[in-house]
Amino acid sequence: MLDFFKIKRDTPLPFKSETLITESTYVVIDTELTGLNLRKDEIISIGAVKMFGQRIDLGDTFHRLIKPSTAFNPESVIVHGITPSDVREAESIDTILSEFIDFCDDNILLGHCILIDINFINREMKRVLGIELRNAAIDTFHVYEWLRHRQSEDRCFASPPKDASLNEIAHCFGISVRRAHDALMDAFITAQLFQRFIPLLGRFGVVSVGDLCRLGNPKGGDLFRKSGEIANF
Amino acid sequence: MIIEEVIEFLRKIPPFQFLDELTLKNLIGDLSMEFYPKGSIIQYQGGPAPKFIYVIKKGEVKVVIKKENEEVFVDYRGEGDLIGYLLIFGGDRARATVTAIDDTICYLIKRETVQNILNSNPSVREFFHKSFLKRYLDKTFYEIQNKNLVYGGDRILFTMPVGELASKDVIQASQNISIQEAAQIMSDYRISSLILVDEKNTPTGIITDRDLRDKVVAKGRNYSDPVHSIMSYPSVRADVKDYCFEAILKMVKHNVHHLLVMKENKLRGILTNHDLMLIQGTSPLSIVKDIESQNTIDALVPVSKRINNIIGILLSEGAKASITTRIITEINDRLIRRILEIAEDRFGEPPLPYCWIVFGSEGRKEQTFKTDQDNALIYHDPADPGTEDAAKEYFRDFTLFVRDALVKCGFPLCPADFMASNPLWRQPLHIWRKYFINWISTPTADAVLNSITFFDFRAVHGETRLLDWLKEYTLSLAMNSKIFLGYIANLAIKNMPPIGFLKTFVVEKSGEHKDKLNIKVKGLAPLIDIVRLFALEKGMPETSTVERIHALRDKHSIVREYADELLHAFEFMMLLRIQNQYAQMKEGTDINNFINPNKLSNLEKKIAKETFQLISTIQNLIIERYKAMIW
Repeated sequence: MLDFFKIKRDTPLPFKSETLITESTYVVIDTELTGLNLRKDEIISIGAVKMFGQRIDLGDTFHRLIKPSTAFNPESVIVHGITPSDVREAESIDTILSEFIDFCDDNILLGHCILIDINFINREMKRVLGIELRNAAIDTFHVYEWLRHRQSEDRCFASPPKDASLNEIAHCFGISVRRAHDALMDAFITAQLFQRFIPLLGRFGVVSVGDLCRLGNPKGGDLFRKSGEIANF
Repeated sequence: MIIEEVIEFLRKIPPFQFLDELTLKNLIGDLSMEFYPKGSIIQYQGGPAPKFIYVIKKGEVKVVIKKENEEVFVDYRGEGDLIGYLLIFGGDRARATVTAIDDTICYLIKRETVQNILNSNPSVREFFHKSFLKRYLDKTFYEIQNKNLVYGGDRILFTMPVGELASKDVIQASQNISIQEAAQIMSDYRISSLILVDEKNTPTGIITDRDLRDKVVAKGRNYSDPVHSIMSYPSVRADVKDYCFEAILKMVKHNVHHLLVMKENKLRGILTNHDLMLIQGTSPLSIVKDIESQNTIDALVPVSKRINNIIGILLSEGAKASITTRIITEINDRLIRRILEIAEDRFGEPPLPYCWIVFGSEGRKEQTFKTDQDNALIYHDPADPGTEDAAKEYFRDFTLFVRDALVKCGFPLCPADFMASNPLWRQPLHIWRKYFINWISTPTADAVLNSITFFDFRAVHGETRLLDWLKEYTLSLAMNSKIFLGYIANLAIKNMPPIGFLKTFVVEKSGEHKDKLNIKVKGLAPLIDIVRLFALEKGMPETSTVERIHALRDKHSIVREYADELLHAFEFMMLLRIQNQYAQMKEGTDINNFINPNKLSNLEKKIAKETFQLISTIQNLIIERYKAMIW
């Protein structure tokens, strides 16, 4: 596994951009962090679910708590509910990273504001393995924004969420959200959101993975391009 | 947390609810979840068979089959329903087109997985195989029984065959030995009862310690007399395969404490009241015994109050509704008989033989907790005016006394005054005949309503031949009167099943019972009316709905086809009603027939839907038959 990364460390993983969105495999990820500061905060849990097209695979999920190297930030404990005692028995990020990479394989990664998750994961990967994730990645929030600008009449977009938080958006789409909230649950909610986005995207002719990756690009995407400019339209 | 949620959901849904925890967990291993926006098509008829069985988690779908370019609506399915399960049994094409008519979320289970579960779980296999209603119903019992396990597995009464409980080493002796020899055998083997057999080894009777005390010692009888002179016979028998509750029914019915347990005409054991009490705690028999031993009405009152507890025990043991109501009926009959005996003692020998009859739910043996008095009295036609006057006077006082006694024992007055205390309903046979002739020959709406109540009549005490004569006469009148039957048919179809598009329950729209379903009016009454109509068409003397169905099974074309469904539907509705009433009684609230459909489990809702559909189907058949007479 490590050799594989060393050889092709900088080339992004290939994917066929003409593959249909409904026939591609995705790994929807979420992380819980001690804070947002990339220099000093840490990952304390990773959750991920697999999707094939619109189908969420409930049998094959990934969820690990991670033992942090430094003390907890009390404020974030309030958000994720993971206390230092919860992670005392957990394994270190070093062990869990390779399990996570195995789980992702070469599939497309999906996440709500996924850039944050990827940045943290890459920081750890660089430290431990000397490489970064090479998977294609899609930010579901960008996909959401892209759709929102195009169909404000749809009931799911009509009353915009109070904020861009995952829970608020999920709520607008009628996805049941539990109060308790962990990385796996958030990944699952994100996956359900993406289930609902797929048919909406289809209405604008966005049916290929290539188009999806463009408008869901974590580093900006092409939020405001008109649907007519989408490649296969 | 995700998995737990799925398990929680599947645990409520047949057939997955019959799976143990481990199998359920394994099942989740390759479960996936898919979202279908409103309007999208989940499967096309004729398209490749889906690889999955779909369980609807949320939303609603429409199932449509296309036949010769015409779309035939099959079903709406919602939360907890399955799509595509028929394909488990083969076929490589989808059989119907399924469209999401609302945003729909489904859990998808691989066909092979379901197949594997099928192979290793008989209950799931059964679910898929058996006729729809039947399999659901049986599982409801299972569900209810499991709910009631708080009672510590007392349902053994309904699962344990008599053969297992009966003492097997039965000592038997020839009926021709002397009393002393018999007592010697009993003392040698330290047993309290001895079975006596004839030359062919067939049991003919039994003696017990009590017989030796009461009939021999107390009476100073000669010990050398043959033992058969003091034995009790004929002994009541049970088959080794009978369930214990059936044995209880027999004991109650025959008022005995021992049953001979037989296997293919050979004595296999003996079952005592005590054996049953041990596994059961409280016994319906003990209450019957208490009823029999009371000599005043006031002494009967506390005993009658215990009847409701018995019902509770039976329900908690998972008794079927039909069994529970039969036991209630048996006990109530005993109580009524005892009251009548006390009345006879009080007023002296009646001037003419009479027959006490009950009708309505009592007549159908379908009583639950709170039953109004529905009774009447038939007496022999008086030979002269003198006897006539004597009879009128006697039965007036007699019936008033009985009415008040029944009230004291917990049977409220009949609001419609269908009681023997009403002079209209205590009459000699020839007047009763006239009543029926009038009802049948000139059926008005009122007359029909009157008569159907009476057509569920049953004799409880006295000269039962009086009722037999009346019944024979009136049934032949009724079955030959097309017009009268037409009225009854109208009544049977009047009560439309409360299901709007088989989708949501139609419930009370206003008032105290808003959003509730009157299970007696909407569920039970139509079934009872339908079955009564069929029984009258064929002149069957049975009065209970279940017995009527059994009797009509070979004689009535509609019943022949729907007997099982009718039985199960009726059983289910009775069970819902009786459980509901028992819960109300325990909470100390008013006992009524209203249930909240939202509180039903998915399974129960499903059966309720099936039942209403069944009622609707049969009502349509009736309309078809009586076309010209339906208004």
